[in-house]
Amino acid sequence: MANASEAPTSPDGVLARVQEVFRAELDDQDLVIAPETNQKNLSAWDSLAHIRLVSGIENEFDIQFNLSEIERITSVRQFVQLIEERVR
Amino acid sequence: MSEALSALAMRPPVQALPWLPRPAGKFRDHIASLPSEPLQALLDLQSLAQAAWSEADLRQLGRKIKTLLTSAPASLAAEARQRGLPQVRLLVVSASTASHLPDALIGTALRFGFLLDVTIAEYEEPEPWLARNRDALQQNPPDLVLLASDHRMLTLRSPLGDAAAAEQTIEAAIARAMRLAEVAGAASGHQVILQTLADDPDRVQFNMDLGLPGSPRFLIHEFNARLARRAQQQSRLVLDVNALASLVGTAAWSAGRYGYAAKYPFSTAMIPLYAEHVMRIVAAQMGRSRRVLVMDLDNTIWGGIVGDDGTEGLVLGNGSPLGEVYAALQRMALSLKERGIILCVSSKNDEAIALDAFRNHPEMILKEEDIVAFRVNWDDKAANIKAIADAIGLGLDSFVFLDDNPAERKRVREALPAVAVPELPGDPSDWLSVVQSAGYFEQAGFSKEDQLRAGFYKANALRAAQMERIGDHDDYLRSLAMTLSIVPFDSAGRKRIAQLISKSNQFNLTTRRYSEAEIAAMESNPGILAVQGRLLDIFGDNGMISAVICRQAGQRWEIDTWIMSCRVLGRRVEEAMLQYLVEQARGRGITTLVGRYIPTAKNGLVRDHFSRLGFVQTDSQNGETTWELAVGGYDEKQLPMKVESQARGKLAAAGGA
Repeated sequence: MANASEAPTSPDGVLARVQEVFRAELDDQDLVIAPETNQKNLSAWDSLAHIRLVSGIENEFDIQFNLSEIERITSVRQFVQLIEERVR
Repeated sequence: MSEALSALAMRPPVQALPWLPRPAGKFRDHIASLPSEPLQALLDLQSLAQAAWSEADLRQLGRKIKTLLTSAPASLAAEARQRGLPQVRLLVVSASTASHLPDALIGTALRFGFLLDVTIAEYEEPEPWLARNRDALQQNPPDLVLLASDHRMLTLRSPLGDAAAAEQTIEAAIARAMRLAEVAGAASGHQVILQTLADDPDRVQFNMDLGLPGSPRFLIHEFNARLARRAQQQSRLVLDVNALASLVGTAAWSAGRYGYAAKYPFSTAMIPLYAEHVMRIVAAQMGRSRRVLVMDLDNTIWGGIVGDDGTEGLVLGNGSPLGEVYAALQRMALSLKERGIILCVSSKNDEAIALDAFRNHPEMILKEEDIVAFRVNWDDKAANIKAIADAIGLGLDSFVFLDDNPAERKRVREALPAVAVPELPGDPSDWLSVVQSAGYFEQAGFSKEDQLRAGFYKANALRAAQMERIGDHDDYLRSLAMTLSIVPFDSAGRKRIAQLISKSNQFNLTTRRYSEAEIAAMESNPGILAVQGRLLDIFGDNGMISAVICRQAGQRWEIDTWIMSCRVLGRRVEEAMLQYLVEQARGRGITTLVGRYIPTAKNGLVRDHFSRLGFVQTDSQNGETTWELAVGGYDEKQLPMKVESQARGKLAAAGGA
């Protein structure tokens, strides 16, 4: 557990990687996200950006979201939860 | 070690662009370490772009390029152009989502050496969009329009089994596509790329459906075939999306979740492949297709090492599964030759031994005469490829190099980044599909500009077809109705003469180079007979293809220079040139023609030139040979061409008769 923060599936490691995807897909290198970040409080996260984020995260973690998950996800917290379910 | 590793590696699927090297490291780390100087950053990105990055990375690459261009001074685009990175503007018209495509297209374009600027029209019917944006398009026209039609733009539905209704549905869709192409083409004044429709794996389909009017498969296939024919007739470009979808599997091509969630036209995993094909067509249209295939020999076009195993020990052709793979590879090369691709060889071998395999192995499909340039020696392959490029006068960016050895591939990629070097999987039976999927030799079709540029290649193909039809070589030559026009060096021909003199390496007896000024001086020198030959035939003008310079020494003419373009080898042009020289000599009281052959690494082709023409050898020193022909003893020949020699009077006067 000593190096838990570096393990790819630990919450922090996942969040850091999700942040990289957000930065790349939203083209904002200084963007900082938290679990609370959502479609309402991040204006760049519009419906077109959403599908790019989904695709970017699928790519980063080599996972697939199903259609209803794609529809349901509105926050970083949900992304992280679903990623952890998949990667576990 | 790396060879062993690559032998174990699986072949990546087509959508992973298997011909490109696999990327090293994380893309964002590469981005983070780019230099701050924008032009250098752009050039670094260009070499980074040569690897097979994923769709997400490709989009990052595209975004980085855009950021560099928008944040840098306006002069960057001009500087980039000078470094071989011209700007191309593309308009993508789609009824589905397209906003996720530009970044990947821009990233892919850099791999092809273009700075791409993309405008998109998405989600809506193209007609109103084009009408609304007519003025803007005319003021700022794109270089090309991609009409990214799919089942959202062109809906094909018709009652099952009703042939007349199916016919109407298909014709209506074709008419709409062609009208859109016309509107888009007229609005921008430039070329339009049309797309075929991909088979839809979600529609009900039975095995019989290709023959059942009104079935989805019937409608799509009929539509595609007609669209391609119509495009050809109207000089439109075609992106055959259905062929791409078939290549990867229509189920894999289909957008699936993304189609329902966001109206994506096809799966995101296919974006790199799609972007590659769009850029292939753009590059071909811009004259950037590759035209030369350079092949290694041992374990590339035959199995085994000819120097060790001997001609009879090679694995090639019938009787061995692996031998059949190499035979198939040779057949592929020959098919490329039929499409105008120039075949060359670069191999570390003893030339005589390698040639023995070409001449004497019964299963060799490639013949010596199929190979335009042969660089078989122990030199560095990159240097050999460079030498071939100089010899045939095409840039390195026209070249593709095929080699089974990963170390040689790496070496050539590093030394000559302009040369395309496909990755070859460990198993040779995978090679053909990988090389095919790389599509290096894409040809854009028949636009007006292309027709002119492609004329020479096409004429050659026609000549080859003629030869095949006729069989007998002399009959074939007569059927070409050739006219050889021979005129003295003049100002009109000076540039081309200078080019031929500076670039000809193979059919060049003495390899003496002269500057344009020196060539100009020869035009009025009474002690020199300097003539150029131009060859025409029923398939067109071959251009200025030969030059001969004779220097007078008493009653002798020393043949200082004799060069000919290899394009007209085997057409008996050299015999006609000699006959002309003899006539001229007689008219001026010259009794003897003196020829000299100075061997170089490149001109082995003409070692026996003078002997074949009936000269007698008089001297030989260090491989350099001297030859003489008594003008009085020359018997006139019947040659399969008409010879027109102009300004003979002027020549005679200049000769001081």
